[in-house]
Amino acid sequence: MSAASQGPLEAWADYFDGETARVQRVLLTLAPDRLTIARPDGSRLDWMAEDLRALADQAEPGGLVLALAGDPVQRLVIADSHIAGLLRKNAPQLTRRPPVENKGRILGWGLGAVASVALIIFVLVPIMANQLAAYLPPGGEKALGDATFEQIRAAMGEDLMPVEACEAEPGRAALDTMLARLDVADDLPYPLTLTVLDHELVNAFALPGGRIVIFRGLIDEAKNPDEVAAVLAHEIGHVVNRDPTRDALRLAGSVGVLGLIFGDFAGGTVVLFLANQVINAKYSQAAETGADDYAHAVLTGADLPPAALGSFFERLRDEHGDAEGINAHFSTHPQMTARIEAALAAQARLGHETTPVLGDGDWAALRAICGTPAEPGAEAGDVDEPAEHPTSVRPADEAAPIDGGGRHAGD
Amino acid sequence: MFHPLRTDYAGRSGPMFRLALKTSLLTVLTLGFYRFWMKTRMRRYYWSAIRPGGHPLEFVGRPTEMLTGFLTAVVFLAFYIGIVNLLLMFVSFSLFEGQGQAYVVSLIGIMPLIFFAQYRARRYILARTRWRGIRFGLEPGVKGFVWRSALWWGLTGLTAGILYPAQVWALEKYRTDRTWYGDAKFEQGGTWRSLFGAMKHVYLGLGLVVFGSLAEAIFEDPIWLVAAAMGAAWTGLGWAYWKANRFKRLTEQKTVAGAGFRCHPRPGKLVGIYLLGSLIIGAILTALLVLSGIVIGVLAAMVDPAVVEAGVDDIADLAQLPAWLAVIVGVVGYFAVFLFWGVLREAFITLPVARHFAETTEIVNGEGLAAVRQRARDEFVEAEGFADALPLGDGI
Ligand SMILES: [Zn+2]
Repeated sequence: MSAASQGPLEAWADYFDGETARVQRVLLTLAPDRLTIARPDGSRLDWMAEDLRALADQAEPGGLVLALAGDPVQRLVIADSHIAGLLRKNAPQLTRRPPVENKGRILGWGLGAVASVALIIFVLVPIMANQLAAYLPPGGEKALGDATFEQIRAAMGEDLMPVEACEAEPGRAALDTMLARLDVADDLPYPLTLTVLDHELVNAFALPGGRIVIFRGLIDEAKNPDEVAAVLAHEIGHVVNRDPTRDALRLAGSVGVLGLIFGDFAGGTVVLFLANQVINAKYSQAAETGADDYAHAVLTGADLPPAALGSFFERLRDEHGDAEGINAHFSTHPQMTARIEAALAAQARLGHETTPVLGDGDWAALRAICGTPAEPGAEAGDVDEPAEHPTSVRPADEAAPIDGGGRHAGD
Repeated sequence: MFHPLRTDYAGRSGPMFRLALKTSLLTVLTLGFYRFWMKTRMRRYYWSAIRPGGHPLEFVGRPTEMLTGFLTAVVFLAFYIGIVNLLLMFVSFSLFEGQGQAYVVSLIGIMPLIFFAQYRARRYILARTRWRGIRFGLEPGVKGFVWRSALWWGLTGLTAGILYPAQVWALEKYRTDRTWYGDAKFEQGGTWRSLFGAMKHVYLGLGLVVFGSLAEAIFEDPIWLVAAAMGAAWTGLGWAYWKANRFKRLTEQKTVAGAGFRCHPRPGKLVGIYLLGSLIIGAILTALLVLSGIVIGVLAAMVDPAVVEAGVDDIADLAQLPAWLAVIVGVVGYFAVFLFWGVLREAFITLPVARHFAETTEIVNGEGLAAVRQRARDEFVEAEGFADALPLGDGI
């Protein structure tokens, strides 16, 4: 350490030998290459300049706490800011951190953690959810679905008011006619609860316990009653396959695990949400195909056109384009073309013209179920938005095409 | 007569604010993985600020060992939490047809793990804390702590919380009696009744709340609600009294190597710190929000002057902003508020509270301490991984 002109090169400090808790008042002497520590018993220690290490993130602003490289316990507490300043300038490796030990072990546990989480989220939890879903008693499923339903209504509502369920009597009657025509009662583990929510979202989804929700936006968007019936048949397919229950159980298992990894820092929620979307996307494609297959069979059996499902998807795709941004990666959208083709194939097998599921009168009643009748068969773009929704967003802005993730709305 | 060793406190809000801000930013940018470094660095600061007898404490934990410990815990916990949560959800909906029970059962299922994590975290922290060059330590003994905790929490629950002070004392005694400073063993004096006096204002406040509510229900006169409200305020202040007094009673009954402690924390000071801290945090957050609003306005004006000319007198105008811009503003705002709130809390509440407790504590009869000898390093692979992974909710 250089330059005698920098003032006195001696100072008092507290030295701890790391063997006892005795405080040793020591006299420090700075030399260009070393720090000499004169202990009370007369002995001296020489700490070489390149071996001096300062503890980081200390609260005392002017002073220094010194350690000796390679020695874990000896400490020198220097309060004298002049000497501390000189040391800061002249000890070459004062702020050097000790090398990271056990890199291999960190890597090993890291891989182990990733593997165990992947195993649990992608294998164990789904298998258990699939198995258990079949054993959940209907009452339990219904409770699960009801809880989720209320959460969704509250989350989608405005000004703290939950979204209204549409109950206009002629519309309800039209829905019952539609259900009767589909004739699915024998397939169902429990009776259906069909609700229309007064929201412009073009979507529909099934919840555990046989609850199916259709948004007004979807009825407005449909060109004919067959399209609504096709979507309804698809959702019934989810109920029959118990997909929503599987999803809910899987979610219960995987969310806790993901929360564990990302901790409770501010971004955790966002990461959690995205990771959950990835997991769901993996499972939902199989579930969608299963529900589509069921819908095709039911529609064919009811002498209704399976192509209605495809034509509805097709129009959504043509009108609103491909899903954009993040959503495209997580929705089931990439499968859309295959789903349309499957619907057309089912239509080809049916091979003849059909009578619509509802007459004109019933269809008009269904479109007025929320008390806001729209012109039957009107292009969706031309539908006047109801007066009570002046700031509503156009469907394209927020709708995922038919329940892309809609079953998972309880997230 | 040996002089009492007073405790100095060297921490200051400014440097803590900078350290917390820097490390929090890095934590957010690394999706949370810097948090082990953040925790280590903050602890180094907090520990070194506390200087009993003028000599700073030292935290020697390493972020990498905390990371390894966390990964270890994840391997085990992922299994437990994933499978157990799913099963509990299933059982709860099968048997009770409701979700509330699932949460309760799930919480009960995880309690033993939380007790386990608490003890192991205390062991790690003590093993990595030094004063005057000598290591602290906590003996192995987690099993006894887990069942005692379960028992005491059960008793506390059954007595509607009345036995809580006894629980705090008993669990603290279990840990203190296994705590070492070098080769000197700590001892926790007192009895299970020691802490009830510290809780008296909370009991009185809650009693007043119950009394006021009952009286209102019986006499149907809203005037009794005033009594209930006064009880609630009394309970709040009583909680500060409990915190200060609990610390005083527990600490003054601890001994190590012939030394004891004397504490005189003031509940009023704690209330003052919380009130002033909240005011400062509120003011700074408001100022930041206003400032960022101005910045966004100026930026918008530079991109498209018409926006400002038209004014934002119609909410519908906001909807015309490009969606990506709204998303960015939303995400940044969300992170910023969380981040600043946490950082400001460290600087204006946690640190002043630590200062008050430190500065009002002194060591008496400390002449035996100089003879304390070093203890061996406790390697402790899993560090405090379980505490990191579980939501224990204790800052430090
Ligand atoms: Zn579907």
